[in-house]
Amino acid sequence: MTLSHYLALSGILFAIGLFGVLTRRNIIGILMSIELMLNAANINFVAFNRFLYPGQYLGHTTVIFVITLAAAEVVVGLALVMAIYKNLKSIYVEDYNILKG
Amino acid sequence: MIEQIVFYMLASVILLSALGVVLLPGLMHSALCLGLCLAGVAGIFASLGSDFIFAAQILVYVGGIAVLILFVVLLAGSASDKVTRQINEAWLPSLLICAAFIWSFLRITAYFAGITAKSAAAPTVKAIAALLLGDYAVPFELISIVLLASMTGAVLFGRRKAQ
Repeated sequence: MTLSHYLALSGILFAIGLFGVLTRRNIIGILMSIELMLNAANINFVAFNRFLYPGQYLGHTTVIFVITLAAAEVVVGLALVMAIYKNLKSIYVEDYNILKG
Repeated sequence: MIEQIVFYMLASVILLSALGVVLLPGLMHSALCLGLCLAGVAGIFASLGSDFIFAAQILVYVGGIAVLILFVVLLAGSASDKVTRQINEAWLPSLLICAAFIWSFLRITAYFAGITAKSAAAPTVKAIAALLLGDYAVPFELISIVLLASMTGAVLFGRRKAQ
């Protein structure tokens, strides 16, 4: 397998996640699509580390940081979703319009 | 040969389940597809020879995040989600944006065409530990503060209103 295979896979996965972020009406669906995009970036990190810099492990370390921050992000995001859902009784982002600026 | 078979099977699982996450109308089905997709990404990590990332992906993503999202779907989803429209009106511009992204990404990464792995994959745990507790000790400790802050924030937002 060459590096290009892994890069193509991660690019397509990122694009699918981007499509989900742009088109889902559902806030939980948007959060799931963000997870897809983060995973695509992680594949890129590990693939570049494996193919271009064997013997160094900075890519792996970065992926561990990304995974940890993704876990923190999704925990706070879902807690916010539940707090909004308790007030508005909706998970569709068009209904989140009570903040009139 | 067997490497190609494994890669293409994992890639098809990942891409099909990612399409399921984005396109399926039921939130429950989307969340289950997300779990499958994350497990496939873990398989890609294993095929790239990064054993610790594989274990971390299974533990944190498949075991933690996917289950957490499933819980929120159970709490916040409703039966009418399956029949209401889940895609907004901007799907055609979004599709064009994604096509443009894929095209430009493949053009950029054509620079890296034909690079194969020069050495066999080695165990990575010891080297990652040396980095995390050596050169990157400060970010490693900062991450624990971030985790503590996010846990506090989740508890703060998730608790019931004070009486």
